[in-house]
Amino acid sequence: MDTLRIYLRSMGILIKGQLQYPVSFFLQTLAQLIMEGGELLAVILLVDRFDHLNQWGPGDLYFFFGLMSVTFYLTECFGRGITGNFPSMVRSGQLDTLLVRPRGILTQVLCSAVDPRRVACMAVGTVSLIIGSRMAEISWSASKALLLAESVFCGFFLILGLFLIEGILCIHSVKSVEIANALTYGGRSACQYPVDVFPRPLRTLFTVVAPFALVMHVPASHILGKPIFGWPGWTAFVSPLAGFVLFFVMTALFARAMRFYRSAGS
Amino acid sequence: MRACLSVFRLRLRLETQYRGAALGGIVCQIFFGLILSALYRALYFGKPQVRPLAHVITYVWLQQAFFRMLLSSDGDLMDKIRTGGIAYDLCRPLPLYGFYYARIMAQKLMGSLLRAVPMIIFAALLPGGWGMGAPASLPALLAAAAALVLGLSCVCAMENITMAFTMRTLDPRGIQAMLNLLMTILSGNLLPLTLFPDSWQRMITLLPYAQLLDAPIRLYTGEYALGQAPQVLLLQAGWTAALIAAGCWLWKRNQKRLVLQGG
Amino acid sequence: MSYIHVQNLSKRFTVRKKREKGSLLREKEEVQALRGVSFDIGQGELIGYIGPNGAGKSTTVKILSGIMTPDGGEAVVGGQVPWRERKTYVRRIGVVFGQRMQLWWDVPILDSFSLLRDIYRVPEEAYQARLSELTEALSLKDILRTPLRQLSLGQRMRAELCGSLLHRPEILFLDEPTIGLDAVSKLALRDFLRWENREHRTTILLTTHDMEDISALCSRVMVLGHGSKLYDGELQDLLRRYDRTRTVDIRYGREGCVPAVPPSVVMEKNGDGFRLTYRPESYPTADLLSALQQAGPIREMTVQSQNIDHLIADMYREMDL
Repeated sequence: MDTLRIYLRSMGILIKGQLQYPVSFFLQTLAQLIMEGGELLAVILLVDRFDHLNQWGPGDLYFFFGLMSVTFYLTECFGRGITGNFPSMVRSGQLDTLLVRPRGILTQVLCSAVDPRRVACMAVGTVSLIIGSRMAEISWSASKALLLAESVFCGFFLILGLFLIEGILCIHSVKSVEIANALTYGGRSACQYPVDVFPRPLRTLFTVVAPFALVMHVPASHILGKPIFGWPGWTAFVSPLAGFVLFFVMTALFARAMRFYRSAGS
Repeated sequence: MRACLSVFRLRLRLETQYRGAALGGIVCQIFFGLILSALYRALYFGKPQVRPLAHVITYVWLQQAFFRMLLSSDGDLMDKIRTGGIAYDLCRPLPLYGFYYARIMAQKLMGSLLRAVPMIIFAALLPGGWGMGAPASLPALLAAAAALVLGLSCVCAMENITMAFTMRTLDPRGIQAMLNLLMTILSGNLLPLTLFPDSWQRMITLLPYAQLLDAPIRLYTGEYALGQAPQVLLLQAGWTAALIAAGCWLWKRNQKRLVLQGG
Repeated sequence: MSYIHVQNLSKRFTVRKKREKGSLLREKEEVQALRGVSFDIGQGELIGYIGPNGAGKSTTVKILSGIMTPDGGEAVVGGQVPWRERKTYVRRIGVVFGQRMQLWWDVPILDSFSLLRDIYRVPEEAYQARLSELTEALSLKDILRTPLRQLSLGQRMRAELCGSLLHRPEILFLDEPTIGLDAVSKLALRDFLRWENREHRTTILLTTHDMEDISALCSRVMVLGHGSKLYDGELQDLLRRYDRTRTVDIRYGREGCVPAVPPSVVMEKNGDGFRLTYRPESYPTADLLSALQQAGPIREMTVQSQNIDHLIADMYREMDL
């Protein structure tokens, strides 16, 4: 509870700080809106030309896109500490100032940044979800709504976990940390489409290693009434938990890596 | 001239120093190429198009290979402008526009060559239906190469104009984000321009953004026939000349303003 | 029983060397940052920790503040091992990095302080009492509502110090706190550290390159070089040991007076007078004075011992650092 209070207070301070430059803040938010709008436009143009992707119709595709967009940018908004600044904090030694405070490192990293501009991206994602839901004629029920919320929530931790990889590589002073982007940004670009579009190696990658399919596609396909992989309905509630599993594995690896942490600068 | 050469040499050394980062970037770009190829393959199997799939996949690989060329990434220079360190450069006995043009060109050329060569080799070795196809003909390849050079000249002129604008606004991040967005959409990086609605394409291919990579790629795949090549190259050259002229004018005005402000 | 007990502390880093042109393999090099450093510090001491760049000072501070784990040796601070139970340990210490800001950049420093209060779980009354005490001592009253980014470097450093001391740490580690500060800010900072040390018996370990800091604050100093402790003791003893040359500036009442001195004394013309540099142990001061007097009527004369920075530079040179 106490930790949550610190998180909220930190967010308050950071947002207050960002609003000190209102014009810049507004322009950047607008830019985010247009950027995510551009991504959506690409999907619309593809739907316009190809009409469907395997068994997935236009509504399904907008729904998958919206789910990824909302989840990914929710993470980039509230998990900005990990998705954005963390590697540079390791490299510059700024992490030292967090290490001398009596709180968990990851908690403090999460408290160190927020990116409210991403709300614009989430808005685009929400619109896409709504359009998709209308076009696919989803009959909503409490359990389906719950499933959607679970998917977004677990997706948040999945994406945080994937972004942690870059930080862990940084602590071990690996040079080519950009490789981690293949899983994070690559995962976003790929898995805004349902995973069964991809050939087996990619499908395995996004199911087992970076389980976007388990966290998003299994529940979403269940909501759309076309279960992917042909799995029974109850699996849709269990499979998103893979996001937590990945997150906890990564936090354990992170804790291990911290023992090798050598702060930069003498 | 000597100054420009040393700018190129310095850049090459910098790029080779960050080989590790470049390697990570290449792996990432290849991964994106694979994902997009898989996506377009699946889309084509559902609804085949007039335009062959092989062209689209070649388009994807070439876009990924030269991605670095589009990216406005001279953060160093942008910082210089923001912090006012640019004043030192303004004192140098050099034609300012040319100096920055060379600097941007060096960065884009060296950065993208270092990445493009291994990526193209990789993409060419992939099995059929996944990898990059051969050029339509030898003359088409030559025309594409010429168009790529013009595309590079054009993108440098565009970035130079962006920079001139950056000098006038204090916080350019918002505007820059929008320009980057226009770049990724209208240059065909996000979605091949060949997959845009046909009626849109007639307009979009006339814009400067389409001159950067889209025009060379279309010449390479034979989308533009050889007979069209002079016309395409002329359009590219026209845009390049116009953008360089506009950039020169802007820089001159900026310089005057800076002198008036006294730094 | 000493308060900080460090025994045989060692730490190694592997550094990737920049590769030579043409070679494909990256060379790795081991750097021994600390090779068996030991010392004891009592509660309430104010200690200076000096040494040239790369000597291992910051590494020691980072180990003692729980940021890094050493490869070997032990350290016990106030009954705890810093790198175990990090969270309970760091609540008892305060750390100021001269080159790193820990307060929030865009908001008033008071907001930063109250967030730190929550992070360190300081009870409200204790926080208020401590805050008013520190704002007084650091004269922060007028800038509490100013965002950090609008403060001068000196004000910022005072705010950082306040932030690091709000939870009443028993030990304060300072890593080059005066770097880049102007003379007035430096003096104020030193006054404050002396006050905090006296008033609350806070143990202070001060790392710095500024010898004025050391001579103004610390009676005991430790010198580190190449990862080993080279000296530990009174600052005055250290100075006496290396302060072996004196400089005399002299002007005579009339022209043409040239003192006769042995070759061990270096004499140069200095304006219309002379500057003589000598070592008292090879040519006693009394002898020099009489030699100077014999040359003619003295109008003006000053005797100086060496500047403290030169002295330390000499010392580093002599220790081969």
